[in-house]
Amino acid sequence: MTAVVMARGLRRDFRLDDRPSTEVVHAVRGVTLDVAEGEWVAIAGPSGCGKSTLLNLLGGIDRPTSGVVAFRGRDLSTLDDGELTRFRLTNVGFVFQRFYLMPMLTARENVELPMAEAGLPRDQRAQRASELLRYVGLGARERHRPSQLSGGEQQRVAIARALANRPVLVLADEPTGELDARTGEEIISLFRMINGDGAAVIVVTHDDALAAAARRVIHMRDGAVVASAGSLPDDGVVRAGA
Amino acid sequence: MGVNGLRLDYALSRGHPPPMLSIVILLLLQAPLRTIAIDERLAADAGLAIGDRVVVAATPGSPGDTVVVGAIVHRRPDPSEIARADYRVYLHLDQLQGLIGYGDRVDRFAVATPDTAGTTRAIEQIDEAAFGFRPWRSRDIAVETSQTFRVVSRFHKAIAVITIAAGAIFLLCILLLKVDERRRDVAALRLLGISRRSVVRAVIVEAAMVSVLGSIVGVTLGWAITALVNAYYQAVYRTPLLFAVVTGEIVAFAVTLSLVLGIGAGALAAMRLVRASPLALLGR
Amino acid sequence: MRWTLAVASLARHRTRTALAVAGVAIAAALLLDMTMLSSGMRESFRALLLRRGFQIRLAPRGTLPFDTEATIPGAADIMGRLRTITGVSVVSPVLGAAIHIPLADRTITSFAVGNDARVQGDYELVTGRDADSAGDMVANAEFLRATQRGLGDTLRVATGYDPQLRAFSGERRLVIRGEARFFYLSAGQSAVAIPLATLQAMTGAAPQDRVSLFMVKVGNDSLVEPVRRSIQRSESLVDAISTADALSRVDARLRYFRQLGAILATVSLAIGFALVTTLVSVSVNERIGEIAVMRAIGVSRQHVIQQIVVEGAVIGLSGAVLGLALGQVTARWLNSILAHFPGLPAAIDFFLFQGRAVWTALALFLVISIVAGLYPAWRAGSLPIARALREEAVG
Repeated sequence: MTAVVMARGLRRDFRLDDRPSTEVVHAVRGVTLDVAEGEWVAIAGPSGCGKSTLLNLLGGIDRPTSGVVAFRGRDLSTLDDGELTRFRLTNVGFVFQRFYLMPMLTARENVELPMAEAGLPRDQRAQRASELLRYVGLGARERHRPSQLSGGEQQRVAIARALANRPVLVLADEPTGELDARTGEEIISLFRMINGDGAAVIVVTHDDALAAAARRVIHMRDGAVVASAGSLPDDGVVRAGA
Repeated sequence: MGVNGLRLDYALSRGHPPPMLSIVILLLLQAPLRTIAIDERLAADAGLAIGDRVVVAATPGSPGDTVVVGAIVHRRPDPSEIARADYRVYLHLDQLQGLIGYGDRVDRFAVATPDTAGTTRAIEQIDEAAFGFRPWRSRDIAVETSQTFRVVSRFHKAIAVITIAAGAIFLLCILLLKVDERRRDVAALRLLGISRRSVVRAVIVEAAMVSVLGSIVGVTLGWAITALVNAYYQAVYRTPLLFAVVTGEIVAFAVTLSLVLGIGAGALAAMRLVRASPLALLGR
Repeated sequence: MRWTLAVASLARHRTRTALAVAGVAIAAALLLDMTMLSSGMRESFRALLLRRGFQIRLAPRGTLPFDTEATIPGAADIMGRLRTITGVSVVSPVLGAAIHIPLADRTITSFAVGNDARVQGDYELVTGRDADSAGDMVANAEFLRATQRGLGDTLRVATGYDPQLRAFSGERRLVIRGEARFFYLSAGQSAVAIPLATLQAMTGAAPQDRVSLFMVKVGNDSLVEPVRRSIQRSESLVDAISTADALSRVDARLRYFRQLGAILATVSLAIGFALVTTLVSVSVNERIGEIAVMRAIGVSRQHVIQQIVVEGAVIGLSGAVLGLALGQVTARWLNSILAHFPGLPAAIDFFLFQGRAVWTALALFLVISIVAGLYPAWRAGSLPIARALREEAVG
């Protein structure tokens, strides 16, 4: 299988402020991994282990201190800010824990936003936005504003937005973090559908059910990958290995 | 002789020594010259100094009187003279009457009295006498002739009303924005159990401090700008008149207004915030 | 979409947006008024001076027209010489004097203009006919109101009052033939026009044929300055003042208002700028998370900047349009105050509405609003996405 995204020796350090004497936090330490086209990978680990930082690096939201991130063989560090933005727009869909919908836009307008940025004509993007909202089960709510939707519905709209420009990679950071179990199940089903339609999915999660639904789980601790497995073992012990 | 004598006189005053005989003749034939006073503006523009001799005449080109500049006087801070480029020359009454052919006439008399009661008595007595003219209190004349000043003053007040309105809205808007920016802090405080009243009080105190600080800066800035404005326009119009004055009343008005508006806006904004539930403020 | 986002962002907080627009409106109104003030006085005065086409005025040397009681002797001789100058088409002599109208219970004092009705440039007839004969006069509405007289009435008119004898001198009986609107009077001033010869006889100016002023019309505008110079050289008793001269002398007197106008215009622009930049800055600070997400999902930096600049521009433009309407109202109010400025004709508009002034004010405010939004927009477009998302999650 070809890798859709590849990381080699990724490091990301943060300084608390600009003084030279300040402590440096090593959020990601030497991570190497490949995610294949159409693969569903979960990244799990305790709070503060660097999961979200790794996701940001893989999605081009953040730049590594050292190491390489390549998307379909193209090194992201060779892209300037404008090219990186364009890359995210057309190749990656993001889903966040807190949904981050534009509160002043309707559900349909939120989904249209990336398409408008990509230059799609108004009628085409309106039609596709309606299709996507039906896809996520919200066909009847397209004129509602986020404040008029439940948490689960807002996350569905966010997922529809992430799919707007037909990305090959969907990145989700704790997508069920603010949802109850039942709603979380619905979201997991959606991700299953998306992955089934061919998009690679990488989710960062504390949710065992979501991790279990993934084909592969990568465990992190203190900024490093400590294990990578097909699924979590029954005894809950992390084992290293492919 | 007169013209030659003038030229020689002029030469004398400029320090060129003439022949001895001419000096004696001049001294014998020349009548003593009368003096005039001129204002500082004329002195500066014409390059005149005390002791200089000039000719004053009623119409251009007509023969007049040769006089000596005996004094240079300051301009009065009179708003009605502000935009006029007039010069002032002061002559002895009889000389001016003769010069302009006025005979034994004057335009007005100025009467000084010891006190207000004396003024009233004088006015009554002058009215009763059949002089054919009317006495006025100086104060009433000042009101009548200060039209320029009153128009400018009303114009300034109108501008002040407009700028105060703009400033008031600006202040309201800024404070609303600033308090709104603190919505998460307010939500956190409320979730911790701090009462609405305490939160509103804290915001009001903050708004009051901003208003007081802003007022101090504003008054200082206003005072500095006033000094600049006066210096500039006094030079432009060549007058000792004060164009802008920062008085205690103005300071008190400005500070009171900014405090009232600042505290009012802060209170309004704070009460709006505490009415909403803390979770709503956090966007949940 | 950028316009949709910008307008939707502003509509989210209606109160603060409305306040900001109101603040900008008042600032824009002030800017418009000050722009109108700086050009209005001059244009209005120029139009007034040229109302009847007289481009040059001759006043006693060293004075401005009707600034003093000085007069010019030998009017007929001077007029004869003026008419021989190439380019001169009309010469109108004018004598000004105070007159007294003794009534049964009081005496009215008014201003009188002695002129030649055939060539006069001081008034336009409203009703009735002109003062063609020696015993005629025309009066303005204020005079008719003060004396409670009308067309056809006869009045005792005197030019002198002897306080010793309590008697009037220079008296005539004149008939009111017409009502006129005088161009160069102060607000509320009452005035009459009397044939020049009659007024000269009444005031004792006849023997020396004295007048206060000549108004000269030049047939070809390009000859105005050569004619003026020629008069100035040849007539030693007068100063020849062209319209341009008069304007520059009035400019000097009214410089204070022009400078005040410039200062207030700057202040209003500063207020508008501060309001827009503060509102946009706070709006951006509140939406750091949203902006970071927009950048994360692929909205380019330029488009984020454009959207925020558009927000500022929308506030500025709406405020400016409102301010234009408000500015007309405040201009009328301010004009009514300045109309009572002594020594200036009431017919002068200090705030003259000119299309150029309107467009200048609008354009300035639009530019200011765009510039005011630039810095907060640039900050928003440049924020590090990952850090902003992390801070939003923590916050």
